[in-house]
Amino acid sequence: MIRIFLIFAWAIVARAEITVRWVTSETNKPVVVVSGLSQRVAHEALLVYADQGDLKADMSLPPMLGRYRTEPGRLYFEPRFPLERGVNYRAVFRASPKALAIIASFKLPLESAEPTTVVAHVYPSADVLPENLLKFYVHFSAPMSRGRIYEHIHLLDERGKEVELPFLEIDEELWDGAMKRLTLFIDPGRIKRGVQPLEEIGPALEEGKQFTLMIDEGWRDGAGRALKESFRKTFKVGPPDREPPDPAQWKITVPRAGTREALRVAFPKAMDHALALRMIRVANVEGAAAVEDEEKLWKFVPSTEWRAGSHKLQVQTTIEDLAGNNIGKPFEVDVFETVQRRITNATVEVTFVIRE
Amino acid sequence: MKEGKLELKSAGPITFGPEGILFIADTKSAAIAAVATDDTKAGSAKPTKVEGINQKIAGLLGSSADQVLIDDMAVNPVSRNTYLAVSRGRGADATPVLIRVKADGTPEVVSLDKVKFSRAELPDAPTDGVVGQGNRQSNPRRESITDIGFLEDRLLIAGLSNEEFGSTLRAIPFPFKTVANGTSVEIYHGAHGRFETRSPVRTFVPFKVGNEPHLLAAYTCTPLVQFPLSQIKPGAKIKGKTIAELGNRNRPLDMIVYQKDGKDYLLLANNSRGIMKISTDQIEQSASIEEPVRDGGKKGLAYETIESWKGIDQLDRLDNQNAMVLRRGEGGALSLESLALP
Repeated sequence: MIRIFLIFAWAIVARAEITVRWVTSETNKPVVVVSGLSQRVAHEALLVYADQGDLKADMSLPPMLGRYRTEPGRLYFEPRFPLERGVNYRAVFRASPKALAIIASFKLPLESAEPTTVVAHVYPSADVLPENLLKFYVHFSAPMSRGRIYEHIHLLDERGKEVELPFLEIDEELWDGAMKRLTLFIDPGRIKRGVQPLEEIGPALEEGKQFTLMIDEGWRDGAGRALKESFRKTFKVGPPDREPPDPAQWKITVPRAGTREALRVAFPKAMDHALALRMIRVANVEGAAAVEDEEKLWKFVPSTEWRAGSHKLQVQTTIEDLAGNNIGKPFEVDVFETVQRRITNATVEVTFVIRE
Repeated sequence: MKEGKLELKSAGPITFGPEGILFIADTKSAAIAAVATDDTKAGSAKPTKVEGINQKIAGLLGSSADQVLIDDMAVNPVSRNTYLAVSRGRGADATPVLIRVKADGTPEVVSLDKVKFSRAELPDAPTDGVVGQGNRQSNPRRESITDIGFLEDRLLIAGLSNEEFGSTLRAIPFPFKTVANGTSVEIYHGAHGRFETRSPVRTFVPFKVGNEPHLLAAYTCTPLVQFPLSQIKPGAKIKGKTIAELGNRNRPLDMIVYQKDGKDYLLLANNSRGIMKISTDQIEQSASIEEPVRDGGKKGLAYETIESWKGIDQLDRLDNQNAMVLRRGEGGALSLESLALP
């Protein structure tokens, strides 16, 4: 059954028998139909415009892309892309270049849905962060939109004054595939010792002080709606951390064989949330990992019961702590001091034993 | 190259190679596509000023200017036509579109439904879906391609991960051969007085010093560095030679090299300070900056700031005398303009 609805049309009737209408079939893709044609007309007789709400711009707009189709007495135009809510679409038909235009406009109404999307969580979770903190992960409850996002992200000092350019603003914007997680690097020029921005305007974060990461509600989600509310994370700044993380210092709590209890690995300091989730594994054991306790605990639940014997925890050396230090390699290598050079192995292993 | 429909998930940085071949970085697919545009008829640059190019593109795509993002611009050095990598929509389901701006300033869509193309998947591309064991949700790691450039027989790709800090710079021979070709290096910044760190490359331009191909690269922490391409070998660790410190509040966006009156210049667009013109004549002789630069100053190669070139979002060389720019004006309106090289 093909149902055709007349949605909205108005026409300046040039020739009484010709009408221009927007109709939508059950595929819900509006189409322009010119009917009552007594002879074939060129496709160019019908042009459709997506108005930009600016008269000057609208006068020089190129016509919208779409596909034409003719039937006896009729000409159809099907837009190439789905129509957008709130945009005024204007179909203009001229039977001949000198003929009076017949115009039919169409607009999908804006959705009046209430904003629902919020900042669900920001990592690191702790409320004391190192002065040389490298990044935040901002998790949203629903997919977001990209483009000029940094206008909505603010770092405020104790007096509520905005810190100038604290973040690495890159046009590519570091989103995950679902656009629910944004990675926000602190401008490395404000962390690295000896570079010009740090020398001149100082670090973005200063030890002993309090800062607030603020995300304003003006940021639009993937559906074009503002955030439900602004978000604030207030934290104190501790000393810089230049120590590479060392898995030998991690405290492993081992479950008993025959159970599916969690293996718990406690870190003496918080690790990068995303990397701790991705870069730690138990060799040859399937299961699910989680990072908890302000990123100081890695928990692993096997999909089958633990087997007694020796197991290996494998950690990629490129895992980072909150300041970007890797295993065996601090974020900054002091070339004048003897430091532990880079470990060439891509992973380090820690052995633990599951007992009966 | 094979003929068929080129499926893109995203269209990030773009750049031209030889004979009208356009390279399109597809960050979402972790791949680079080389497309034969067949736009190979030699053309000359015409003065251009298209106001509201974003509105015109939105009109063409049946959208609003607010929902159209222009992610990169490249001028075909043969035909002098301008190409734009555009995203229709701002969300995860946005559609990438390639636009060509006709001589009269009208944008048109370059159809990728039936084109000659080849693809290079980036080595160690993150796999969608499953990451090892223990993490069954989709892998949120992604490597954003921050810039691409073509030199002689190689495509150079700078990438930045959304998880680990540090970037890779890859050189992939073109024509693309097998999967996992190319080499990747880690870039270090060794000129912070005594500290050495990983340093993501923000933007770069291939450039010849004497007869040797080099890269001029701007790091995210502001220095401008230079290194010979011959250093890009598998697993290498490269320390660029810092040839200029660009100063604070500089966010390098794009750069081009050109010659004027027999001298070489580098033009660097940047989001706060107008545009910087740097004479590169002394690159060969210039000493590496090994000490921190103080007092808000400049060090290394001298540069001048061209104040009148404000709001430049994108920059490419149009011909030997002119640049093509995408300029942001009041209220976010974008114009496409040709400007005489300073």
